[in-house]
Amino acid sequence: MIQGMLGAFKELDATVDAIEALKKDRTGEITVYTPTPRHELEHAVHPAVSPVRKFTLAGGLFGACAGYWIAIWCSNYWPLVVGGKAISTWIPFTVFSFELMVLVGGLSTVAGLFICAGIPRLTMTVGYDGRFSHGDYGVWVQCAPEKLKDAEAILRRCGAVEVHGAQ
Amino acid sequence: MATMAHPDNDMPARPNIAKAGLQLPAVKDYEQVDREIMATLRPSKGWFLCLLVAIFCLIIGGLAWTYQIHEGLGVAGYNPPVMWGVYIVTFVFWIGIGHAGTLISAILYLFRAGFRTTIYRCAEAMTVFAVMTAGLFPILHLGRPWKFFWLIPYPNWRLIWPNFKSPLVWDVFAISTYLTISTTFLFIGLIPDVATLRDAEKNPIKKQILSALSFGWRNSEAEWRHFARAYLFLAAFSTPLVLSVHSIVSFDFAMSLVPGWHTTIFAPYFVAGAIFSGMGMVFTIIIPIRKLFKLQHYVTLNHLDAGAKLCLFTSMVVGCAYLVEFFIGWYGGSPVEQQYWWNRVFGQWWWAAWIMLTCNMILPLSLFSQSLRRNPSWLFFLSFFINIGMWFERFVIIVPGLSHEYEPWQWTSYTPTFVDYSILIGSFGWFFMWFLLFIRQLPVLAISEIKEIVPPKLKRAHPGADFHADTPGDHA
Repeated sequence: MIQGMLGAFKELDATVDAIEALKKDRTGEITVYTPTPRHELEHAVHPAVSPVRKFTLAGGLFGACAGYWIAIWCSNYWPLVVGGKAISTWIPFTVFSFELMVLVGGLSTVAGLFICAGIPRLTMTVGYDGRFSHGDYGVWVQCAPEKLKDAEAILRRCGAVEVHGAQ
Repeated sequence: MATMAHPDNDMPARPNIAKAGLQLPAVKDYEQVDREIMATLRPSKGWFLCLLVAIFCLIIGGLAWTYQIHEGLGVAGYNPPVMWGVYIVTFVFWIGIGHAGTLISAILYLFRAGFRTTIYRCAEAMTVFAVMTAGLFPILHLGRPWKFFWLIPYPNWRLIWPNFKSPLVWDVFAISTYLTISTTFLFIGLIPDVATLRDAEKNPIKKQILSALSFGWRNSEAEWRHFARAYLFLAAFSTPLVLSVHSIVSFDFAMSLVPGWHTTIFAPYFVAGAIFSGMGMVFTIIIPIRKLFKLQHYVTLNHLDAGAKLCLFTSMVVGCAYLVEFFIGWYGGSPVEQQYWWNRVFGQWWWAAWIMLTCNMILPLSLFSQSLRRNPSWLFFLSFFINIGMWFERFVIIVPGLSHEYEPWQWTSYTPTFVDYSILIGSFGWFFMWFLLFIRQLPVLAISEIKEIVPPKLKRAHPGADFHADTPGDHA
């Protein structure tokens, strides 16, 4: 059973027109493929702000705290006693904490990217075509069967060079 | 190759402004970008010859190391109290090169410097391989390298407990963090390009490998949105990380009491030196690449001009640091420091100090000339001197300090042996071998980011009328 309609576009403005028309018509859920990020497409899709920043913040805070904790715990458990000097001192431990903040923050940012973007992906998603990584734009609209004709008409009217359904 | 104008003859323009027509006037569409950059992945005689030379150099270094393991560290030129010599000089040299790559990539990304687009992939790859090279040197320093894990600071039954107040312990964590984040930064940036290679690949086995490496990336708008956000944060983390790591490397010296080392200027001095040496190495790499792969219309003279300005600026910062060091030596009033500085510039080590001053302070002043900034042959020639000068900078910091400390019994000399030189040559072989293998397997220029600055195809002839294509280059 056909799940939706895919339109391949050569031009950026035609793609934007198609997205706007499909949104206006409330045809279905739209996925846009583009060889490179473009603000025009982002404005047309108008998505929510990426939540990757939350992973970054959480990872960074955890790393900073863990950095202090490891340094203080190790220094107290295996103390290097030097007369007149405190065993745990926060100034040199800040260096260690900073490094761990960057390490854990950076890696959690990547984890956030993977989780939010849904990668690694073992199989290609329905509607994807290899040409979308080269020069063409793609608009995949997932919709109910009775809306397929409307979706096809909108995609063709906006200038899609190829339109077909996919399962 | 596509028909093109002659961007090399274009009038100097404002290279820091990210406008497609200005940056890459001879690149017309996305298909051209794919075709020309993917062409760099085909093997060529020049590439194979360079790889052979790199492997030959690596073999020289490997044989010297084997000899050193067999005979003991005495075959290196150490002469107590000069117990840090060519190995630590070369370690700091490669760390410096490594620090510049991510700094160039990350900081120029944050500042939206348009000339970054075509040089950053080279700079990032250079970073990873330079840090990998530097990472060999703590092991090369060891008489029994198979016990290298004793160097790792963790509490253990040998009663060697980590001292978190020591710059050497900070260094271990800082450099390993740096290597991890730099590699991640490079790899994340590569994912969309690997997906492009995957979609163009005909060989099923290669396609499977590229599919795995691209994590099933499919170029959806949502993926790009999360990617841009993650890339921005990684750049934001990488920039202070670079500053901290090279500052920590400088603390390895500055926190000791050795004359010439115990100074607060070391952190900014080392950071500026790292960017300077990194730009030198970027020129050494990118100029032959643009020539061999016929990429002159991607890495244009405007890009080289902007890079040369950065090089000139950091050269002047480094030069200023040299002069301030002399001033501190004189103004501090310590006779030991004053003697050290005299010995360094006019005494025992005058030749090394003047090589450093000539290569790092005097020759880069030529970049005030616009015609020389836009002359690839001169930049390539100059980059060699910058590399030599920056190696000698580390030599001049380390060896004269150790060879002329507080008491006369500590005044000695140091002469590197053939083992030291062979391992130095081997380190270059190791670095270039990895770099050459990289450029054969993965795009040396960032395909997806270059596409960002290429004007997209539009249906309407006059986009200004009712459709405006955004200014590229600001997709964070």
